[in-house]
Amino acid sequence: MLAMDSRLLSRQSAVRSSSMTNEINHSQLCQWLNAIALDRDKAAFTALFRFFAPKIHAIAYGKLNSEALASEVVQDTMSKVWRKAHLFDDSKGAVTTWVYTIMRNVTFDFLRKMKANKEDNLSDDIWPLAEPLSSEEESFKDHLQNRNLQGVLATLPESQQQVVKGFYFLEMSQEQLATHLNLPLGTIKSRLRLALGKLKTKLGENND
Amino acid sequence: MIKHHPKFELLKSFVEGDLPASLAAGVAIHADFCSICQQHIDLLTEQVAEMSFEQQATDKLFIDDQRQSYPPASAHLDDMIAQITASDALASTQRTAAPVTMSFKGTQYQLPNALRNMSLGKIAQIGKLSRARVQLDEGKIHTSLLHIAAGGSIPEHTHKGFELTLLLAGSFADAAGEYVPGDFIMLDQRHQHQPATEAGCLCYTVVNDALHFTQGINKMLNPIGSFIY
Repeated sequence: MLAMDSRLLSRQSAVRSSSMTNEINHSQLCQWLNAIALDRDKAAFTALFRFFAPKIHAIAYGKLNSEALASEVVQDTMSKVWRKAHLFDDSKGAVTTWVYTIMRNVTFDFLRKMKANKEDNLSDDIWPLAEPLSSEEESFKDHLQNRNLQGVLATLPESQQQVVKGFYFLEMSQEQLATHLNLPLGTIKSRLRLALGKLKTKLGENND
Repeated sequence: MIKHHPKFELLKSFVEGDLPASLAAGVAIHADFCSICQQHIDLLTEQVAEMSFEQQATDKLFIDDQRQSYPPASAHLDDMIAQITASDALASTQRTAAPVTMSFKGTQYQLPNALRNMSLGKIAQIGKLSRARVQLDEGKIHTSLLHIAAGGSIPEHTHKGFELTLLLAGSFADAAGEYVPGDFIMLDQRHQHQPATEAGCLCYTVVNDALHFTQGINKMLNPIGSFIY
């Protein structure tokens, strides 16, 4: 637990120091979000929350002109981040884009509630959150003809394919892969788990 | 080929969530037809997101002492985090809602996904024109699905505000040429036009003021103007 705390502290200071140069540490954000997706990691969520919440609050306040409503936007947006983390696909775009989409949609529905007095929650129809499953399932249909692992493997994002191929076909260890791909071991592990989860679902579907 | 696209400013407001639902849905529907605009939107979203979450842009207000000045108080934030993470429920992965269809003059049309949860009024008809209101309650901005049966037209008119016509199915033509599904035609009061369709068409329209018919005898049709508006 101590180790976790100190890691978290160094993560936070990493983000804070990057603020000096005005740059966003995208890979850090991505690690946090993946940790939430894979491990329901509350420490990672806290870190992500502390990064995004003040900014979301400021933007929402600018649009809604109310502390209470801005606070609700923060709460709703971050709840969705917590509940939808497993739908995030790092090959489809940055964490910032994904969180922005959620925040913009939540704010839009709030504004509509205020202006038109309508609680119709249209935003997710107007700006669907990029959900990897729907498009992957379509491309997956093409692979039903060749019912082999390679075919299913090809539906995974490139970054996950690399890891699965290295681990299973080249029999490299996770540590070797980390060195070879110049990535943190944690990233290799999370990509592998993410990929295996997807493969399992897809091969399962194949057998139906 | 689609020739009429939303202007850059409109795409930007769309990405920033600043358009009324009627126009936002219009841009979204167009982007479903138009991969070029979809790419612009994706790129813009990425840029706007990046700018929104850069530290300096928004943190200036809070950076002096984040804990004190970021409302609400820090203890409240911890509560919020605890409350959010207390639930382990995952959001479902699938949007399962079936596509909505609507029938005009015996032809069944599948409506765009952006309209899926909008409430639609009953179809009203005058001659070859059929109209269903999209009930968005946006004050002066009125949104409709407008069907023009084969051989029908709308008399030459102008309008005081803007008029968005987004062709969903079929085709029509006016003095400026032929239009295909996906064409996003935004007109303002400087324009006059007289759309006519040979084979029939379905349009999504957003108008923020009554139409005004300009030609001789057609002035008597101005009640139709309020029908279409």
